[in-house]
Amino acid sequence: MPRFTVVKLFSKQYALAVAVLCVFFSPLLRAQDQFPFHLESTNSTDRIRIAVAPFKPQSADPATAGYKNTFDTTLFADLSAAGIFDIVSKSLLPQSSPGNQSEMNLAQWSAAPASAAMIAFGNLSTQNGHIVVNGFLDDAKNTQFPQVFVKQYNEEASDDQARQIAHRFADEIIARLGGGGVGIAETKIYYVKQTGENKEIWEMDYDGANQHALTHLGTVSMSPRISPDNSRLAFSSLGRDGFQIKMFSLLLNRVINFPAAGGTNVSPAWAPNGNQIAFSSSRTGDPEIWTADANGSIARRITSFRGPDVSPVWNPKTGGQIAWISGRTGLPQLYIMDADGSGVQRMTDGGYATSPSWSPNGQFLAFAWDRRYGPGAPGGQDIYVMEITTKKWIQLTHDSGRCDFPSWSPDGRHIVFANTPDGKGAHTRIMTMLVDGTQRRALTGSGADMPNWSWK
Amino acid sequence: MSSYAHPAPLQQKFSSGFAGAVVLHVAVAGILIGMAFLHPFQPKHWGEDAASAGAIQAVMVNALPLPTKAPPIDHSVLASENVTKAPAPPVKEKTAPPPTPNDLLIKNKVDTKPPKVAPKENLTPTKHPLPTPDSPKATTGDAATQLPQAVTQSVNGTATVTVQNRSFGNRYAYYLRIVGSMVTKNYNEQHPDPRASQDKSVSMLFDIQRDGTIQNLRVETASGSPTLDAAAKRALLEIDSFGPLPEGDHITIEYKFDYHHP
Repeated sequence: MPRFTVVKLFSKQYALAVAVLCVFFSPLLRAQDQFPFHLESTNSTDRIRIAVAPFKPQSADPATAGYKNTFDTTLFADLSAAGIFDIVSKSLLPQSSPGNQSEMNLAQWSAAPASAAMIAFGNLSTQNGHIVVNGFLDDAKNTQFPQVFVKQYNEEASDDQARQIAHRFADEIIARLGGGGVGIAETKIYYVKQTGENKEIWEMDYDGANQHALTHLGTVSMSPRISPDNSRLAFSSLGRDGFQIKMFSLLLNRVINFPAAGGTNVSPAWAPNGNQIAFSSSRTGDPEIWTADANGSIARRITSFRGPDVSPVWNPKTGGQIAWISGRTGLPQLYIMDADGSGVQRMTDGGYATSPSWSPNGQFLAFAWDRRYGPGAPGGQDIYVMEITTKKWIQLTHDSGRCDFPSWSPDGRHIVFANTPDGKGAHTRIMTMLVDGTQRRALTGSGADMPNWSWK
Repeated sequence: MSSYAHPAPLQQKFSSGFAGAVVLHVAVAGILIGMAFLHPFQPKHWGEDAASAGAIQAVMVNALPLPTKAPPIDHSVLASENVTKAPAPPVKEKTAPPPTPNDLLIKNKVDTKPPKVAPKENLTPTKHPLPTPDSPKATTGDAATQLPQAVTQSVNGTATVTVQNRSFGNRYAYYLRIVGSMVTKNYNEQHPDPRASQDKSVSMLFDIQRDGTIQNLRVETASGSPTLDAAAKRALLEIDSFGPLPEGDHITIEYKFDYHHP
């Protein structure tokens, strides 16, 4: 009898010790399963150090100074936002800015404090109502053949065109120095803008400038998706028959025909070849993923489980896979499957996952995820990126309110998403960041939601 | 039994002893009371206004009885009060005074220095290209980048990217640097086995196509360490594109990786 007591006591202590050990090691266990994978090195020493000289105005026209300011500001912002350059601070630049190759003194720019490896410079003038920009890129380390390229741009004189020229020049620099990456300075972002009761589809430049409305339907429209050739915009809109897929032509600047069907039809997605569309439709009673060709015919159902299936997105690299959100096991989870509906694979192990976006190289999925979903649960909805082959993930946003609707930039280096600092829907704004979560900044004020980055 | 035999003398002894004890107690009490009468209790307060009261009594004196001064000790050098004289410093040898600037006659010597002027920034930049000094001396810095190769240092080795087309390497040195940095970025320093790969080097050949993609990747010289070969190969396979070639149809690149774990 006394021996039993001792054994019982020991087992109690043992259980306590095990419990303490579990509590102590649980962060380590968790840290192991979220071991960060190598996304992209953002070590600044790897980056090319580039100096952006203020362009030299070459005409005395008073408007030139304004265009020059717009151009310089946009070019500097584009190259800083690219995330691949180490930009020389403006205060470290030499005082004289060269206007063309013969005025360039490389030693001045390659020496400290500028220590630039590359120099972007040039001149800007206004002639007969046209802006003419000559842009140069020089390799400061190559004294023998410094010139990398020279470009001339000639556009109608306006502040907007000065910005567009700067975007094109920045894209040209990124294409030459980005190691295969394309520039995104000319890309657009399509989003939903709340105007009073209604929600319309709007468009803006990638840096948040030039925001303007596309649709004027006077109803609730959501989830805009731009086609790979940037000619059509698919979205879902509330009409007499409930939510239906609508198609907007950017070339004709009006809504074009797309067949309506029964039930709720939402969240369209373009296949990378532009010939197919996937969307969620409840025409059979249960929201399932359907595919159709680009004008809405030959609709086929590709999921058939009980429970909602929404938010499809194609693998933009191969076009052979679809990732989507399914509620077949209760809370919505992230799944991938082949484009014909076979090979279903569950990606998330719990929580509340929504709105996937597939990275342009096909390697990663970005999505919004509330890992501890439920009343009183800590944390909240944040943006995560998952490597598909290993299912390892990293969290990109922390403690900045609800984040949703991530969308990859075509260069795979940026993610745009919707963020609500205080959780109120009316205060949703669109933000952008690099894929490692740095350089986060807001592009719009409140009232903007569901961004979608154009393909190129 | 015998102790109980004489009760009377025991009682007598007790009564006489008891009487003695009473007398002794009365006597002691009487002495105490009498002492109290003779010397009544008078507490003396410290600092009371009395001639002999107080803790300290100071007496004014004219001189203190100091001990007599010991006579100075002369026989001991250390104990002596007299300062020993230091030996005189050695006599300095006299040298000839230095010649004044005017002593030596130099032709065309200008006496007054021109005032120093801060260097002005060259507002008229020099024409390009700058002439490169033609010297046989091996220099560092700029001259090194003229070689058609890019050398990148990683944690445990050195990657050297050399282009076989020399004129391409000279003309587009920046492209070669991008190739070198991208290869190093994709190289995973965890992959090669440190012991088997130490001080070995692998060199590989590949072509970069017009669109920047890699073709014809082959190992030119294997290192003898399979893990190092595989790591170098994988660094290249993970690259989609280096970016479009600035010129030409394709270039052939030699990529050499020297493994050296510090």
